[in-house]
Amino acid sequence: MNETIRAAREIITGYSGRPLRIMEVCGTHTHEIFRLGIRGLLPESIDLISGPGCPVCVTAVGFIDEACWLALEQGCIVCTFGDLIRVPGTEMSLAGARAKGADVRPVYSPLDAVEIAKENPDRQVAFLAVGFETTTPSACLAAKQAKAAGLKNFSLLTANKTMPNAYQALVGSADAFLYPGHVNAITGNAVCQRLCEEQGVSGVVAGFTAAELLTAMAVTVKLLGEGKPFFRNCYPRVVRDEGNPAAIRLMEEVMEPCDSEWRGLGMIPGSGMKLREAYADYDARIKYHMPVITGRPNPACRCGDVLQGKCRPSDCKVFGKGCTPLHPVGACMVSDEGACAAYYQYATN
Amino acid sequence: MSETTVTLAHGAGGRQTSELIARVFQAHFSNPEFTADDAAVLPQPGGRLAMSTDGFIVSPWKFNGGNIGKLSICGTVNDLSCMGAKPLYMTCGFVIEEGFPLDDLEEIAAAMEKTAAEVGVKIVAGDTKVAGKGQCDGVFITTTGIGQIMEHAHTSGAYAKPGDAVIVSGDVGRHGCTILIARDDFGIGSDVDSDCAPLWGTVERMFEATDQIHVIRDATRGGVGTVLYEIAEQSNVGITLDAPSIPVDPRVKGVCGMLGLEPLYLACEGRLVIFAPQEEAQKLVDALHECPYSRNAAVIGHVTAEHAGRVVMETEIGTQTMLPQPKGELLPRIC
Repeated sequence: MNETIRAAREIITGYSGRPLRIMEVCGTHTHEIFRLGIRGLLPESIDLISGPGCPVCVTAVGFIDEACWLALEQGCIVCTFGDLIRVPGTEMSLAGARAKGADVRPVYSPLDAVEIAKENPDRQVAFLAVGFETTTPSACLAAKQAKAAGLKNFSLLTANKTMPNAYQALVGSADAFLYPGHVNAITGNAVCQRLCEEQGVSGVVAGFTAAELLTAMAVTVKLLGEGKPFFRNCYPRVVRDEGNPAAIRLMEEVMEPCDSEWRGLGMIPGSGMKLREAYADYDARIKYHMPVITGRPNPACRCGDVLQGKCRPSDCKVFGKGCTPLHPVGACMVSDEGACAAYYQYATN
Repeated sequence: MSETTVTLAHGAGGRQTSELIARVFQAHFSNPEFTADDAAVLPQPGGRLAMSTDGFIVSPWKFNGGNIGKLSICGTVNDLSCMGAKPLYMTCGFVIEEGFPLDDLEEIAAAMEKTAAEVGVKIVAGDTKVAGKGQCDGVFITTTGIGQIMEHAHTSGAYAKPGDAVIVSGDVGRHGCTILIARDDFGIGSDVDSDCAPLWGTVERMFEATDQIHVIRDATRGGVGTVLYEIAEQSNVGITLDAPSIPVDPRVKGVCGMLGLEPLYLACEGRLVIFAPQEEAQKLVDALHECPYSRNAAVIGHVTAEHAGRVVMETEIGTQTMLPQPKGELLPRIC
């Protein structure tokens, strides 16, 4: 065990103050916290809550229904990040749509979907654009490339989300946030700094290695003990205060803010991104005159409460019984970054 | 034979089939037992025999560190070796897609010849079928092998005992990572090469060091993680791993970090997972370090009576966590 890890461990395990609630906003952090068994280190007075930072988990049921509609009713080749394929919609998942004959293809980058459109000039191709500031720039790049190439058979179904407005919606649900390092790498730190200065919201930007994550947690625990609101960047090797200006410019050029529905959190004003009017030809909802599709989540699933830290995955009645990684009922059981999947896979008892 | 690719006529059983066999298979597999008759006639070896069969459909057929031919010999040789059996004879069945280049087929046969020669196993019979274009992908191979089990070898997945050390014969996940890079689905470049290797020599050396070996299993498709769960269940024991001591090549670590993959669940094709009493562990690791394909062998954990059927990891930060259960194949067609 290296010195940094040992020192951070001592601060965390030695904490004996008032009860603390710390929310790791990011799904990758949730996964790493489980993989490293960090919960096993925490004294009883520190509660770690998994936040809504897995893009697959916060994608609304209605979005899956819209994607199935594109695949089945419009005959589109639907290209998507693989995790989304098994997320249940109201009637079916995209895997279910595929079993009914839909052409659903996993891709690793939105640009792969552009290539598929070029290779299939007689077919329509739709890419499911989900994700936060970390993935949105690549979706914007795909739209830009498609437009530059004059493609008529490519569109995006957008459900891109931005973190800053979600932080706002989460204010009060924890004593401090572990901010997602790779989101801040794009957006910069201004929003988090403002939250601290104007609303007294405490938080620390955390990286992803064992040492980085433990350090961020130790800093959080220590500063919470001092009682004053704080913001710290504990991931300086990647995160700069100004973020990534080129990525921000690209997003602003191609997309604009819109209201967005988050599974569990409901509609959050200004928390989504949609294509600007100049890219309307590439907006699947406009291109296909899509009707309003409203999803109905499975009433037994408590993913919504899990995402807000209101309950633990194991408090949900279907967890581990009707809902497992092989047969997920809710989105949080699908993705490796989902809190339910992490609890299920790593729980030692 | 003037053609440069395999045609349906090569599989029709006539003159062209004979020419194909002569040019490619007889040329490379020639040995006194290689039969021109309907079946090979072999002397009877004594003692217990082990027999195993395996199919190979890897895509792409050629990768950094090997090809489907080498893989098809290693796969069956290693299965036999895990039972403490010296591989004696093998058969191979080819299904070749129409249009497959003959030079490539020769390259595959040459790799089989070389690998078989290294182990001293004889290819004694074979079969060739040609499938129409699109009915299979390139070339599929099935090999079957017979081996003679050493008198003092008694290994089985059911023999792991509390107190046993768990040893891997080298760094994990290299083959799966190599195939993943070779397919270029992710746009990641790396010079990582497959661990594909025939391991009879390694097993023979292990048994020279000690015959107190309870389990030998070669980690293939599901990687070392899947093997560990299989053994935990078969032997009804728990396994505790020391995560920092699991050898992982830095290149594999890098690729896995980028793609969110667990190296323990990436395929190997030249790695053994060995369970043996703690007091034999050092002898075995020393013996493994002498062999060419196991220079990075390491003790990675131990067997417990507690948490039967589960694999627990002791992490680099001094906590315990479960190794997630295998989720099935990460990638299709890796071997």
